[in-house]
Amino acid sequence: MSTLEITNLHKEFVDVYTGETVTAVGDVSFGIEQGEFVSILGPSGCGKTTVLNIVAGFDTQTSGTVHVDGRAVDGPSPERGVVFQSFALFPWKTVLGNVIFGLRMRGVPRRERDVIAQQYLQLVGLEGFERKFPHELSGGMQQRLGVARVLANEPAVMLMDEPFASVDAQTRRKLQEELTGIFETKRPTVFFVTHDVDEAVFLADRVVVLSARPSRVSEIVTVPLERPRQWRAALDSAEFRHTVTYLTDLLAGDEPGVPADVDRA
Amino acid sequence: MAPPPSVSRPGTRLSRRLKATFWFFIPFVALAVVWIITVEMTGVAMRTFPQLNDVRDAIGDLWSTGDLFTHVGSSLRRVMIGAILAVITAVPFGILLGSNRWAAAFFSPLLRFSVALAGIAWIPLATLWLGYGERAVIFIVWNAMFFAITYNAMLGVQRIPTELWRAARSLGTPRWRMFGEVFLPGALPNVVTGLRVGLGYGWRGLVAAEVVATSSGLGYSIFQAQQFYRTDVIVAMMVIIGVLWLITDRALLAPLERRTVERWGMKAVTA
Repeated sequence: MSTLEITNLHKEFVDVYTGETVTAVGDVSFGIEQGEFVSILGPSGCGKTTVLNIVAGFDTQTSGTVHVDGRAVDGPSPERGVVFQSFALFPWKTVLGNVIFGLRMRGVPRRERDVIAQQYLQLVGLEGFERKFPHELSGGMQQRLGVARVLANEPAVMLMDEPFASVDAQTRRKLQEELTGIFETKRPTVFFVTHDVDEAVFLADRVVVLSARPSRVSEIVTVPLERPRQWRAALDSAEFRHTVTYLTDLLAGDEPGVPADVDRA
Repeated sequence: MAPPPSVSRPGTRLSRRLKATFWFFIPFVALAVVWIITVEMTGVAMRTFPQLNDVRDAIGDLWSTGDLFTHVGSSLRRVMIGAILAVITAVPFGILLGSNRWAAAFFSPLLRFSVALAGIAWIPLATLWLGYGERAVIFIVWNAMFFAITYNAMLGVQRIPTELWRAARSLGTPRWRMFGEVFLPGALPNVVTGLRVGLGYGWRGLVAAEVVATSSGLGYSIFQAQQFYRTDVIVAMMVIIGVLWLITDRALLAPLERRTVERWGMKAVTA
């Protein structure tokens, strides 16, 4: 049994302006094993964030099921922590206050949670910043805090919604490398939504490719890269490049009217 | 990492402070000059409008007789009690409205209806219910502040990004703890705005209510002075009310804002 099991997920909603029924998620089924990193890749507007929101319990499906550790998802829960694109840190809490937030909500005693918090702050390289407020950190540090805040809760699965989309390109590379490092140390189960092919491949054990709306799983690709991973080595490896090319073609074929080889120069 | 705050020598900081203070007082000095010249040139009688030094003398008299402290004391006490009651009632109510769509839909029309009526229009009923005295005045101050604070607290909660609600919920926050953990701190920038606006309304309500309902306080003394054509006392009391307001704003609300909203990097969004 997989840690996360999504079966025939289907989501429709009524467009407020046109009054039409729109299918956001057509028919999505896949599973994530314990300790596995899975990227969900698809063109923008394909409904991948909707899938994440349903798994997180923020939204409900029209039909189909989502199970985590055999239990049907029913509303948000600390077993499915979310790392947001906008970071969503609590501005009124210090770095430490953010990390221990979930532990505090679950009633973990102070001494215990301080020990756990230190461990995760160290993991993401934020030790020494405990008393800072989020706005005093750079974007990259804020998102590392976002990851620590979720992992401190030891969720069954960590959901990540394009978490590095709002940081600059250099920082993004660095954060991706750090995330693989954290993953390789802690082996959490990760559900990672992105539209960036390189990112999806570099991070994941498997890539679930969603088609454009109404989304279906068009393919699930296993990434043939050794761990630990680093960008330098990945870019040099033929497997990485082949996988990226394959997925890029797959996505390009999915967008009629936008040829993949447009030369803008 | 964000650049560290620029290190400034204490000297430059002090001079910046002095400069700001200087520019704050310049308009008042200008006003005083225009005042003196206008009254001098028109030769208007004291029973119509006082000269600046008459007002200064009036404040001096009020000070030496101790009347000033009696009136300021009772007015401040009423504003304070009214304000505390308003915060205790309006902040939770506003947060309820901001966090519950049904409550907002139900109460919003009533709130809008009440805007023009808040405060002063309630004086007749307040005196009928509570008699002439302290309690009616406090009721008016509370009433005048309630709507501004409620409305801003509601707005504050509605402005909290959806992701913050979601983050809190998916970190295991039970619904009943959302109030203290997310809604209250998240709405604080707007609550402070509401408190500022509300206290302004509160002072106005106080002055009007004291005219009608008591025999002490700044509003009452303005009214008394009017009976004897003492424009110097009237204007003196007006100046004192203005100064008290400025002190409340600078000494109470500004530090509250610095310690919370500014420290957290949350900019207040004015309604």
